[in-house]
Amino acid sequence: MDAEGGSGSGLHVQIHVPLDAIDLDVDWRPECDHVAILGPSGSGKSTLLRALAGLEPKAEGRVSFGEEVWLDSSSDVAKPPWERRVGWVPQDALLFPHLSLRENLGYAGADTSEVERMAKSLFLTDLLDRRPRFLSGGERQRVALGRALLSGPRLLLLDEPFSALDRPLRSEIAAMVRGFVRDNGTPMVLVSHDEHDAELLADERWVLVGGTLTADGRSGS
Amino acid sequence: MAASSLQDVLPVVARAWEAAGGEPIRFSFDATSRLAPQILSGAPADVFISADEAWMRWLGDGGGVDPASIRVVATNQLVFVVPSGASDSPTGPRSLATADLERVALAGENVPAGRYARAALESVGVWPQVQPRVVRGGTVRGTLEWVARGEADGGIVYRTDALVEDRVRIAFAFDEAGSPSPSYPAAATTRTEYPETARAFLDFLRGAETLALLDASGFGPGVAGSPSGPIPAPGLDRPSSPAQRSSSEGSTGLDPWSAVRLSLIVAFSAVLLGLIPAVSMGWLLARRDFIGKSFVSMIVMAPLVVPPVVTGFLLLTVLGRESVLGGWLSAMGLSIPFTLLGATLAALVVGFPLYVMAIRAVFDTVDRRFEEVSWTLGVPKAPTFRRISLPLALPGIAAGAVLAFARSLGEFGATVVLAGNMEGETRTIALAVYSLLESPSGRSSTWILVVASVLLSLVALLGFEGLSRWQRRRMEDHHGR
Repeated sequence: MDAEGGSGSGLHVQIHVPLDAIDLDVDWRPECDHVAILGPSGSGKSTLLRALAGLEPKAEGRVSFGEEVWLDSSSDVAKPPWERRVGWVPQDALLFPHLSLRENLGYAGADTSEVERMAKSLFLTDLLDRRPRFLSGGERQRVALGRALLSGPRLLLLDEPFSALDRPLRSEIAAMVRGFVRDNGTPMVLVSHDEHDAELLADERWVLVGGTLTADGRSGS
Repeated sequence: MAASSLQDVLPVVARAWEAAGGEPIRFSFDATSRLAPQILSGAPADVFISADEAWMRWLGDGGGVDPASIRVVATNQLVFVVPSGASDSPTGPRSLATADLERVALAGENVPAGRYARAALESVGVWPQVQPRVVRGGTVRGTLEWVARGEADGGIVYRTDALVEDRVRIAFAFDEAGSPSPSYPAAATTRTEYPETARAFLDFLRGAETLALLDASGFGPGVAGSPSGPIPAPGLDRPSSPAQRSSSEGSTGLDPWSAVRLSLIVAFSAVLLGLIPAVSMGWLLARRDFIGKSFVSMIVMAPLVVPPVVTGFLLLTVLGRESVLGGWLSAMGLSIPFTLLGATLAALVVGFPLYVMAIRAVFDTVDRRFEEVSWTLGVPKAPTFRRISLPLALPGIAAGAVLAFARSLGEFGATVVLAGNMEGETRTIALAVYSLLESPSGRSSTWILVVASVLLSLVALLGFEGLSRWQRRRMEDHHGR
């Protein structure tokens, strides 16, 4: 059923996740490779990304990525996160506090030169031997991004990745991410409440409100 | 106040005394070695009945009792008991040298019964042969319990105690000339407000009516005149002389450094042995929901609130020679009761709740999302646990280890029941201090142990404090901006 054309991330999501306030109820099949999901905080954006990463045990339904079935509750299929190989960049970075930046970046197995090249493109070279506790919020976000990119992701999941970056740096990092996904052909889902981020990175926009995902009729409300 | 071996018979005597018009009497029973110092420190007692003469003499010299009022009101006899089911038993004191006995239980060496027992064996010249097989506990009743359960193949107790325990039978009595004859001297205290009544009661204790009651319980009659006999009373005569003290240590075999060394060995082994179980249990309780979780948690935490002596008793029941598990272990060559392993196990079980509690708490505070990030980076659960969870929990694990270590150092109750109180084998600091307190000459040499014990505990707690601070700082790493 995914045979049509080379376009689209190959992602097909039909899930139901019960949440505290509202339930997330999504039937979603993005057309472009690089998608942004906008919506107010608390609408379930982060939960949707977690469900894609395989981190929401309460998610029910079906998720497929290309030919692969990641989740199918009807036949008890649930691929664990380490087999999905998504590059998840959580909102608050979650750098491993006991490891240096170098060790955080190389956590998934990247070699030294790869780590150093990545650090350079994220303007982190001087900080490589520090522990996360000595970093600013923006620096942490960049490390988390680099760590995910270095794991060789097949799908990039970005959760408000630039919220702590100032505007000029934001554009530079966004350009770097665009370069990465273009060179590697990696599909990407960006979650943000900031339209500017969406403009920088995505070709297609969706809006998540009240637990339901709808296509955004271009810039309007 | 009276020796605990009189616990059963004295209330009967008191009823007879009251029936004869005497004033009501209240009793306080405990080991002689604990009561005598209490009297000297001013306990409000009128009459003291000791289980041996040495302590009474010590009280007389120290001004605690009126020496003129001392009289022996009863005698007892040492007997050798075996479990009632034992097929074959030694026939006399001399046969002990060659008898097929793996363990012989005696009361602690500062408890009168323990001293008498050794003197009895020495008087027939078999002490050197028996000594390597001796297991020492605290009280006579504890010794009796070991024999009754078959943990020891035989033991030396008072006849009166042997008679009330039907799980043991008397193999023979130490009744030869030269065997010590335990006697119970009684005296009026110098502090009593009722000297007349006290004397009247003492006379009643020597009377025909009492005699009959004592006889019915297995006691022998009191003897006239000042008591005498070859009763070894280490260091009791001149408690304050330093030379005397060191010689008394020699004779009781109490070396404080051996106790310190044993305590450290026991505490370190307990912590090491418990590491993997404590980490697993702490993680399980923090991270998993399963059926019966609160029950498991309750069982793990129980030793925190159950009296350690009870814990020791339960351990002895589960791991003793007579139990299934204990039999299986001893077939594999692992003997738990009366060994260093037993002491370690007792310390571990009692310290385990603190160990687990600290580890559970740290797993509760480590953000699970670190693990989730690691999974998404392609690292499965087990290596994630090793690379992320464990290092992040390390300060808490170390803190738990330190707490368990500190608790092990202080462990007494479970150890004395499961492992006994044996110099150089299971006598840790706590047990050594307890033993020393039972002999007045030991009080000053106790200080080495007290200082060592307090220092070790403080160092451990300081370590705990440092580790908790480290833990807090690490956790701030990611919560702080």
